[in-house]
Amino acid sequence: MDHTAQRDTRNQLLRAMRAEDFATLRPHLRHAELPLGEPLIRSHQPVEDLYFLDSGVASITAEASQGRAEVGMTGREGMVGAVPVLLGSDRVASACFVQIAGAAWRIPAAALSAATEASPSLHRLLLRYVQTELVQARHTAYVNATFTLETRLARWLLMCHDRTDGDDLPLKHECLSMMLGVQRSGVTLALQNLKGGGGIRGRRGRVQILDRERLRLVANASYGAAEAEYARLIGGA
Amino acid sequence: MGRYFFNLRYGTDPGRIAIDPEGSVLPDAAAARAYALQAARDLIRRGRSDAVRDWFACAFDIVDAAGRPVLTVPFSETIPDAAEE
Repeated sequence: MDHTAQRDTRNQLLRAMRAEDFATLRPHLRHAELPLGEPLIRSHQPVEDLYFLDSGVASITAEASQGRAEVGMTGREGMVGAVPVLLGSDRVASACFVQIAGAAWRIPAAALSAATEASPSLHRLLLRYVQTELVQARHTAYVNATFTLETRLARWLLMCHDRTDGDDLPLKHECLSMMLGVQRSGVTLALQNLKGGGGIRGRRGRVQILDRERLRLVANASYGAAEAEYARLIGGA
Repeated sequence: MGRYFFNLRYGTDPGRIAIDPEGSVLPDAAAARAYALQAARDLIRRGRSDAVRDWFACAFDIVDAAGRPVLTVPFSETIPDAAEE
């Protein structure tokens, strides 16, 4: 990443950190393509690299014998691997994989740990980011326990839209089914209802956001709280 | 093996059907029926929807890759008959 300046990255954490902290990390950052489906973290396996996402969306999933469901989402506002490494461990129970293809800056866990040990300001920023992940996970638990499929899907699409360029999201029903933890027909039904409301348009394997405000009306209180906390803790970048 | 599509009928109005665009590859019609029952149980348990008041009034219309009807599986069939218990 030798020729890339801090302002050229699209990752909001890299942009939000102090210039000295970015300079410390910069020699260790390597560009990485993130193809669809690529595992970034395997559950209960040592995390060797962390990823500051520039584009694309990564999905954090909880797995059990019955299958798996999404419990968190990370895009260019965040990084993958922060929870175990910043909290002093080397692995987590959850997994993480690429949900929408993109690119990231990869850094070895040892290099990031050394940098955070040497820099209180970097450590503080990344711990605040860890808090935003916790806020999002707790809010997701609340949303899953409280709201209908349509509301949850609207929230999820807004979160995806926040992390991507343009209005076209490459999402199959099969993957949305895992994201929402419901059988595929439930996704088809919820998509149909959101289409009926005029918020989205769906074609095979894609969802197009037509009217974000309408989606926000459907998403109601399920969307916005975690995003506001991110803005408070990290800022707008 | 064949691809089966599980169209969800969630009301008596003809428009109240959610067409399955992707389908699932399964060995035969019996496997498709078992899949439909499992999907129905999952939706009854976890599928709170703004559009469905009563999941037990819903049904899967299963069609094959050519669009031919294979069978209909009402969600009420997820509950065994009293005689079978």
